[in-house]
Order: sequence, then C-alpha cells, then structure tokens
Amino acid sequence: MQMLRTLRGSNNEGVLALVLLTLIIAMSIISPAFLSAGTAFSTLRSATVPLIFALAVLVVIVSGGIDVSFAAVAIFSAYTAVSFAITTAPDLPAFAIIGFAIAIGAVLGLFNGVVIARFRLPTLIVTLGTQGVFVGVMYTYVGATYYAQLPPSLASLSSVTVIDFATGTGRASLHVMAVVAIGLSLIIWWMLTRTMFGRALYAIGGDAEAARRAGFRVMRTQVLVYVLVGVLAAIAGVAHMVMGRSANPQDLVGDELDIIAAVVLGGASIFGGRGSVLGTVLGVILIQVINNSLLLAGVPSAWLRAAVGMLLIAGVGIQAIAARKKARRVHTVDEQKADRVVEEVAS
Amino acid sequence: MSAKTTPDRRATPPSPAQSPQRPAARFNDRLEQATRGAMARVAGNRKTGRMVVAFVLAFSIFAIANPRVFLSPLNMQNIGVAAPEIGVIAIAMMLAMLTGGIDLSLVAIANLSAITIVSLYSGIAASDPALAESLTIPILLAGVVVGIGCGVLNSVLVSVVGITPILATLGTMQILNGIAVVTTGGSTLYGAPAGLSAFGRTALGPVPLLFVVFIVIAALVALFVSRTPLGRKIQLEGANPVAARYSGISSRTVLTSTYTIGGALAGVAGVLFLARNPTASADYGASYVLLVIVIAVLGGTNPNGGFASVAGIVLATLTLQIVSSGFTALRLSSYEYAIAQGVILIAVMVLDYLMANRRSRRSRVEPGPPPTPPGLADSSSTTLTDSH
Repeated sequence: MQMLRTLRGSNNEGVLALVLLTLIIAMSIISPAFLSAGTAFSTLRSATVPLIFALAVLVVIVSGGIDVSFAAVAIFSAYTAVSFAITTAPDLPAFAIIGFAIAIGAVLGLFNGVVIARFRLPTLIVTLGTQGVFVGVMYTYVGATYYAQLPPSLASLSSVTVIDFATGTGRASLHVMAVVAIGLSLIIWWMLTRTMFGRALYAIGGDAEAARRAGFRVMRTQVLVYVLVGVLAAIAGVAHMVMGRSANPQDLVGDELDIIAAVVLGGASIFGGRGSVLGTVLGVILIQVINNSLLLAGVPSAWLRAAVGMLLIAGVGIQAIAARKKARRVHTVDEQKADRVVEEVAS
Repeated sequence: MSAKTTPDRRATPPSPAQSPQRPAARFNDRLEQATRGAMARVAGNRKTGRMVVAFVLAFSIFAIANPRVFLSPLNMQNIGVAAPEIGVIAIAMMLAMLTGGIDLSLVAIANLSAITIVSLYSGIAASDPALAESLTIPILLAGVVVGIGCGVLNSVLVSVVGITPILATLGTMQILNGIAVVTTGGSTLYGAPAGLSAFGRTALGPVPLLFVVFIVIAALVALFVSRTPLGRKIQLEGANPVAARYSGISSRTVLTSTYTIGGALAGVAGVLFLARNPTASADYGASYVLLVIVIAVLGGTNPNGGFASVAGIVLATLTLQIVSSGFTALRLSSYEYAIAQGVILIAVMVLDYLMANRRSRRSRVEPGPPPTPPGLADSSSTTLTDSH
C-alpha cells in the first residue's frame, strides 16, 4: 500500500506516467513505426516550446496565481529582440540577442508582478489585461512585419543538434533547444524543491497570509515569480523562432489555454500550493503524444482541440471526484469554497 | 448644506471658541452614517456611478476629437447594433462571476448556436426555401436550445462533478470550439433566415431593434437577480458559500441554474450574431473572451463573487463600444484599442484598490460616534458655518 502510494506520487504523477506508457505501448502495437528514437526526438522537439511555457505556468500556479500573458510576453520579447537585430545590428552574436530578449521578458514580467503584488489584484484579470497591452504595443510600436530570415547568428543556431544519428527509417536528431528545455526543467525542479525561494512559492500558494506570518516576504516573492515567468517566456519565444527559422509576430498568442491545461493535467492545483516539475513534464509530453497519435491514427487535426479539452475535463474531473470522496471521509467542509471565503476575509 | 450660504441668525452659544467644532463633528458623523447606510443599501451604486462618469467622459472625448465622424447617426447606430451581442455575453459572464466562478466557454457556445442555426436553415432552404423561412422561429429556438445544452454540460461539470469553473469551462470551450471547427470544416458558413436579418436592420426611430432586445434582456436579468428567490440565492452563494450552505441553500441548484442560464444567454447571443451578420464560423469573436471579462469587471462585478450590477454591465458595454468606434473614428488601429482595453481594465482595478484601501483606513482610524448629550442636536446644522 505504502509502495503504491509512493509510486502514485504526491500529484498523481504515477497515474499520468501509467497513462502515457499505456498510450505509447498501444500506439507501438498499432503502428510499429511509432516506437523509435526518431519519434521520441521529434516529440521532444515539438514539446520544447510548450515545455518551457509550462514550466513558467507551473511556477505561477504553484504560487497561487495564474498567468495568461506569458505567450504575449514571449512573442513580444523575442520578436522585439530579433527585429532589432535584423534592422539595426545584423552582426549581433546570438547570446546578445537572447540576452536582450530575456531582459525585455524580465521587464514585462516585472510589470505584471508589481501590479499584481502591490495592488493585490486577481492575477487572471491583470494578465488578461496586460496580454492585450503587450500584443497591442508590439504591433503598434515594434512592428508587424514577418521576417522569413533570422539574423545570421540565430539562424546558424537553427541547425545545431546535440545528438544526431542515422536510423533505419531516417535521421534522428535532438535539437539544441530541446536540451535547453530539459536543462530548464532541471533548474526549475531544483529551485522548487531545494531552495528557500521554492519553499516560499509553495507556502504562498498554500496560504498567503500564513506564509506572511511565517516570515516569507510575500510581495517580493510574487514579483520575482512574474519576473521569472517573463524570463522563461522570453527563452521560449526565442526557441520558437530559432526552431521555426522565422519571426512571425502572429505566432504563439492564442494557445495559452493549452499550456495551462497541460500543467493542470500534470497535477498542479489551480488554487496553488501543489504541483511538480515531473508532473508538468509528463502532462506536456502526454498531450504531444496524443496529438501525434491522433495524427498517425488519421483523425482530422480539427479534433485535436476537442481532444485536449476532453482530456482536461477527464483529468480534472477524476481529481475533483477523488478529492470529494476524500473530503466526505474525513467530514470536513468543502475546502475549495472555504479557502475562497478565507481569501475574501483576508483581502 | 444651506447653512453655508445663509448666515445663521439663530446660532446660539456654545460659540466655536468655547466648544470647538463639536456640533460640526457630530453633524459630520451623522452625515457619514447616513451616507454609509445609503451606500450599504445600494452597495455598488458607487461603481455604477463611476461607469456613468466613464461613459460620459468617453463619449465627450471622442465627440470633441472628431465630431463629424463620431457623432454621425450612422456611427451611433453602429454602436447600438454592435453592443448587444457583446453585452448579452457579458451579462452571462456576470452571472457566473456572481457565484464566484467564471465561464470561458460563452463565446464558443454562442458560435455553436450560430453555426447550428445557419446549418439548419441552409439545410432546409436547399430543398425548400419557403419552408425554411416559415420555420425561422423554431430554427432560432434550436440555436438557443443548443446554448442551453452547453450550459447544462457546464453546470454538470461544475456542480455535480465538482470541477473548478475556470477549468471546467476552459475544457468545454476547447471541446465546443473543436466541434465547431469540425462541423464547419474551418470555413465560414453563409445564410441566415431573411426574417432575422430584416429584424437586425430594423430600428424603432433612431434606436436599432437589436439594442431594444439587449435592454429588455438586461432588464429581465436585473429583475431576476434582485427580485427572485433564485437570484438572491445566487448572490449569497457568491458572497459567502459557507453562509449559503448553512442557510439551507443548495449550491448544486444555484450553480446548475447559473450556468444553464449563462448557456441560454450565450445561445441568444448567437442569434444576435446572425441578426447583425448572416455568417457563422468557429473563430468568430475570438477576442470577445477577453473583452467580456473586461466588461464584467468594469461594470462593477466582483470577480470573487457576491456582487454585480446589470446596469453597470450595460454602461460598461456601451463605454467600450464607444471607445472602439471612437478609435476607428480617430483612425487608430485595433491594436491600439487592445492596448486601451488592457490599460482601462488595470487602471480601474488599481483605482478600486486604492479607493477601498482609503475607505478601510479611514474607518479603522475613526472611533465610533461619540456619545451625544441630548438637546444639542438641533443646533448642529446651523453651527456648521463656524467650523469652516
């Protein structure tokens, strides 16, 4: 029993891994071509940008907030940096362009964080507002041109692969950005589980007032969370452009909810205080594998959206029913609603 | 305040020097108590009042900036025709927020309703145009029924399964949107009942009929929320779910009816889409999700539940519509309008926070009303001048 519980994981990671494994086995039986290094690497490749985004969303959700402006931050910072490099400084080295993008992302995140933490406003509504502002400012003041060619330094990064070998069916290669995403996952995992900042995030997400009384500096931590989201989003934005070999200002924005769905599916609680990097990674990969499988199975791509929705409903619904059963067993009041009331009284 | 202008002849001692400002302070207390009481009674009139100011301000800014285009009857009519569809969805969003939830699937429901109507109509019209025209009302009702069905789906997920509203409606939004994409094949469908389009073009004098429909729906929902038992229950459920539970209110019933009504309103919004423009597609009004939340919050809805005002929603809808058409009149782009939306939303919320903070600080610093000796009560208003 104890071992089962350990395997299941604190955020149902085990269940998710089991679903993922079942899906992979089923797909390999149906289509033997599925199980190969090539498929694994291409899944990783298509999961790179969603994974970096998901890490950003995970950090916010753990801290008890929600951010829907991260895609706008990503496209804003990456597009601004790239278009600056293209129009005024074509010889800028890649690290300078990426650094510029990260700086812009951090500033935009800082703006989100200051508004949210200083005025204690609902995070969903603030980031909905800033999303509109960021996209609007980009189109109005930065530009709306589609660049089919990246600056040379970034363009050379596009074809860099870390592992590259020939297989029976073609080449299998791991893009450098996928490695970046894996590295970021490890860093965020370390941050959430091994640093004081990570503990502060869980504490604030669990109960902001209790965290404040325990001596955590809530406002400072919250601002830092949104700066971190801005930085991660900027990296994701650059990764998207490098992997797509072009800079299109219309990309990314609009798919925010898919990422949030992946993170929630990965076991993070939308009320904060719960969530893990492992669950998030599994959630993102599960959605990518399902997308791939549906395509391989010949399901029209129009159904992908609905499939993600159904997956979300199923995943969250099972969690909700389980939580309700548990709550009934120990005879407590509805925790979610009680939390909401406590928040109201506190604010 | 007449005491200020008319010098007090019957001002009697105590003179201000002897007992400085005491009657005035008492008058102030009484005034404050009275205003507080009034505030509490019509809680939120302050926010509705704020929207009136914003409405007038927005209107006059654009009327002054470009009167020729902005004040033209055509532009006014456009505002009146474009506002209803957004306003009706915003009212549905307000209902969900009133219970402390949110409904992200409303726009997807409205689109599905519009798609249903167009497919039914063009399907029947392909074989018998006259029959399709005569079946206009049942076809429109079918669209609203689809909306109600989606609302029931949401309400089951929220109240029976117990999924958080934001996640449940995020999921149904994706599902419904996916169904819409699949049924339309990603393209735009044409063809709506001619009667409906004629209805959309009709105006009662200067006022478009669509706008009248909007006001009627708003009035009905306002009556529902403030005058019916279910409406009061919805308010209490949002204000304090625990108190609602101990008052014997079934949160399941309340949530079920809220999301079902929201679905019905979104279905009606789908009909309004078609009355304005006889086309339906899966991605119509993609920006409405944000816009509707902006309107709901601007209109004074508390996103944590418990308070909302339909009048505020109507005013907020019109204000944003004015800003939108004003931006067009000034030749500003839709992206600049997106900036304006975001800035307005955040500015209003920050202002709200600052006001609430000031109010609560003031009430914390001030002690309760001092015990008043009887007999001095009459002179309080007349000695007001002395304190100034």
